[in-house]
Amino acid sequence: MTAAPVTLKRPRALTFGNLWLSAAVLAVLFLYPFVFGKTMNFGISTVIFAGLAMSWNILGGWAGQTSLGHAALLGIGAYTMTLLATPERVPAFFGGPVAPWWGALIGMVLAVVLAAVWGGLTFRLRGSYFTLSTIAVALVIRLVAINSEWTGSSEGLFMPELPTVFGLDLFDRRTEYWLAFGFVTLTLLVTHLIRRSRLGYALQAVREDEDGARALGIDPTRMKMIAFMISAALTALGGSLYAIYLQAFEPHTLLELPISVQIALMAIIGGRTSIQGPLIGAVLLATFGEMFRNVFSNANLLIYGVLILLVTLFAPNGIMGLFSREGRKLGTAR
Amino acid sequence: MDPVAVTAFFQTLVQGLLTGGLYALIGTGLSLIFGVMKVINFAHGDFLAIGMFISLALFKTFNIDPYLSLLVAAPAGFALGYVLQRFVLTRLGDRLGEGSMLATLGLGLIISNTLLLGFGAQPQSINVPYASSTFSFAGVQVSISLLIAGLGTLAVIAGLNLLLYRTELGRAIRATAQNPLGAELQGVKTANIQAIVFGLGVAFAAIAGVLLMPLLYAFPTVGENYTTKAFIVTVLGGLGNLPGALVGGLVLGVIESLGAFYVNNNYRDAYGLVAFLLVLLLRPEGLFGKTVKRV
Repeated sequence: MTAAPVTLKRPRALTFGNLWLSAAVLAVLFLYPFVFGKTMNFGISTVIFAGLAMSWNILGGWAGQTSLGHAALLGIGAYTMTLLATPERVPAFFGGPVAPWWGALIGMVLAVVLAAVWGGLTFRLRGSYFTLSTIAVALVIRLVAINSEWTGSSEGLFMPELPTVFGLDLFDRRTEYWLAFGFVTLTLLVTHLIRRSRLGYALQAVREDEDGARALGIDPTRMKMIAFMISAALTALGGSLYAIYLQAFEPHTLLELPISVQIALMAIIGGRTSIQGPLIGAVLLATFGEMFRNVFSNANLLIYGVLILLVTLFAPNGIMGLFSREGRKLGTAR
Repeated sequence: MDPVAVTAFFQTLVQGLLTGGLYALIGTGLSLIFGVMKVINFAHGDFLAIGMFISLALFKTFNIDPYLSLLVAAPAGFALGYVLQRFVLTRLGDRLGEGSMLATLGLGLIISNTLLLGFGAQPQSINVPYASSTFSFAGVQVSISLLIAGLGTLAVIAGLNLLLYRTELGRAIRATAQNPLGAELQGVKTANIQAIVFGLGVAFAAIAGVLLMPLLYAFPTVGENYTTKAFIVTVLGGLGNLPGALVGGLVLGVIESLGAFYVNNNYRDAYGLVAFLLVLLLRPEGLFGKTVKRV
């Protein structure tokens, strides 16, 4: 790496960190079921993916580590919760099926453990090399799920009967929407907390200039690791919710590379350096995807391809970047 | 040793080497592009899919022999790559690396989904009489199509070497890879050279697609798997290292083949991935590289 000439630049972090904008977005999402009560499926999956995109962004945006393996973490959440809730599949010492909220929590813990091992091994790699390694790890996990008896192999799993939460049926679309809404609120809250914390500033420093950050006394590997673990926990939680929403899933719906790509692109197209970018990106892409569903049938990722190409060429800081002077002017520093 | 077991071993080995040859061809294109432009091309497998579908379409409409379709697929691939680099990717300017990775990811999605719109999701194959024919050599069965593919790969890689080390264009390519600014100052039109290199890379992927067509089913997302294979090959051989890509391809083919035969066929794809991760973590410069810098 050649030494870059020392120049003074405007700070690169964008200014969309304010709580008001987040509150406004949440208010819109809050009104959704009252206005579009007929299209709950679209609402639930969009809001879950918005939360997943924001979870991805803690590692991919704040720490600048582009992961294309997050489907594996999504899968961990979904599989753990479902397996533990299925009486026939629970090992004897658990003494029967585990309630979905405990299952989701265990899934989060497993995802954090996986992220710690995964990050510990791969954070020595930088930039595109790190991205390549995430693809490989996720593909290996996918192969295990496809070929193992206990994960239901390629047929996947069915969601068993679930106990009610405070008397609410988990298979009721309205309940599921509010769970998804809670999930997106949580990820938004976590992102805001991180932004204003020491960790947040350290992550941005690592993203902009890893060697420079190290010179300032920041341990980049440690910071990336913490970001990965938080990102993993939230992604696994989203996975559990998604599993409840789907009620039946197979490796193909949860663990393939396109799922990882989809989550990452939502965040990147929306704007990975702003807080609300991933949320906006997810809503935008889901809406576009839905609009073109009839035109393109199953070629709905076409719109993702077109948008990411346009964004990388003309709006390197994503859609949100277009609304700030720095975002239009500067490329994503690497 | 039991002669049956020995034959089985050689059978597996030959199978692996021939498949590995094809991986090498795909990896060489990717490695060439990386070597000159430091761009990781995420659409590489999708360019291979384009080659497959050109071959398929020519066969279905004009009944043209799959190997003859090379005459269309290779130039078409070159033209596509040239235009994409010259008029689209070059606009990324200084934001190579991450920016180009995302741009090519987008290109890949556009290609695979366009193929899906044009040809449908149903896997399709070409029915030629020689597709499944084999010949026997010392008890080892060799697929004719796979052998042709292997020989084709060798021819293309030999041709590339002649181009790189015996021609003026080759000198310009190598100069651009080593020091773009210096090359530009010496009168090399580096933008043109980069477009030619991208064109060559895409053409190699398309050729590989055509060579695979008699052996495999074509479907729009077939490329995804081969993008991964190309990454594995280039990382095993060292990114930007062309002879490395050839050896890397053969190594990957043999690892998969032996693993599938002796351990578990279901995990065929996993052996390469694990080897890839190990090399990435322990020897990022590749199995045979010395001086490739870590990015």
